[in-house]
Amino acid sequence: MKDSARLTRREFMVKSFTAISTVYIIPDLIPKAVASKPLDAEVSAKTEWAINVDVTKCVDGCTACVDACVDENGLYGFDRPETDSQWIRKLQIKDIRTEQVTTLPMMCQHCENPPCVDVCPTGASFRREDGIVMVNQHTCIGCRYCMMACPFKARSFVHENLTEQVTSSPRGKGCVESCNLCVNRIDHGSETTACEEACMKEGHNAITFGDLANPDSRVSLAIKTKPSRRLREDLKLKQRVTYSGF
Amino acid sequence: MPQLTKILAIAIMVFIPISSYSHDNEKHSLIGESKADKLDQCVEPTEVMQKKHFEFLYHQRDNTVEKGIRTKNHSLANCIDCHVSHDEKGEAIPVNAEGQFCQTCHVKTAVNIDCFTCHATVPRDSASKIKSTGYNKNIHIESAAHNLVKYYKENEYER
Repeated sequence: MKDSARLTRREFMVKSFTAISTVYIIPDLIPKAVASKPLDAEVSAKTEWAINVDVTKCVDGCTACVDACVDENGLYGFDRPETDSQWIRKLQIKDIRTEQVTTLPMMCQHCENPPCVDVCPTGASFRREDGIVMVNQHTCIGCRYCMMACPFKARSFVHENLTEQVTSSPRGKGCVESCNLCVNRIDHGSETTACEEACMKEGHNAITFGDLANPDSRVSLAIKTKPSRRLREDLKLKQRVTYSGF
Repeated sequence: MPQLTKILAIAIMVFIPISSYSHDNEKHSLIGESKADKLDQCVEPTEVMQKKHFEFLYHQRDNTVEKGIRTKNHSLANCIDCHVSHDEKGEAIPVNAEGQFCQTCHVKTAVNIDCFTCHATVPRDSASKIKSTGYNKNIHIESAAHNLVKYYKENEYER
């Protein structure tokens, strides 16, 4: 006679497989709808943050992106343009042959082969998994090798004691700093950087930020629809910041 | 009589753990009042926090900067949110000011910290937003720009 309280081998196999699959397998098969990373998750190479700048849309005399960056990161200075921090700056470039003047925003280009990381003696200058090149100011000793290595003059050094920092952007004397693609905002789920937001608000839409790994992101679409190039491509740095329109 | 002892025993069981975890009604800072004054314990038991708060902070800072983990429990910004005191006007007093939470203890134990050379000392909402003053607008670094164009053009024509 069969004992109903005991499982047969078949029933045991079926039930244990169901239990294991509900716990381990099925959650992995459901596509993850949430694009932004939860606060407790590590960043991964599955996201590739990037910026595309359409130079033709960038307006001469407009400094919305620069001002937004200053406000976002508390980059007030001492009225000394030579040494005050700049994470993003406006450049005016002139074609020597045609005399055509172009204006464009210039910030850390977030290279995939960053020379600043190569030269850093303490490993403070590093590239995060998602492609953001930044300075770990806890280990930065202020040697400024990275500033010399950077072909884009993207980094600044803090020369003086600061007092009015913004919580989301700690910065202080003796450390090098540069654009970190508003890392704090992005980690908290924002989809824009301060400069992109400001540029959109002005109605220029010259700066486009987004995730290169996602084919539907704003930056992927921008790169698809118009030719873009990196500055100093001969250096083979593979920057994540690209420029279109010149 | 047995009932009285029972009640007494229960009362002791209930109140002793609370009093050992509370700050014995001691305020966190000499001047002003903070949210933390009203709480029984911090994110970990008080004894653990007293001995190990810097280990939590070290661990968290590496995770945050290198891996982008931004949990709130052991983050410095969260410490400040809760432990900052407010004066009569309701304005936040920097945590590293004299008589304040961080400073009082570190002076007593002769520990010199430099968290606040870089980190904000008042909570995120009351951090004064410095508006751009306009000095760093329109800095045209002409020479650098010329080099960029030159190199770009040279490469263009080589190809």
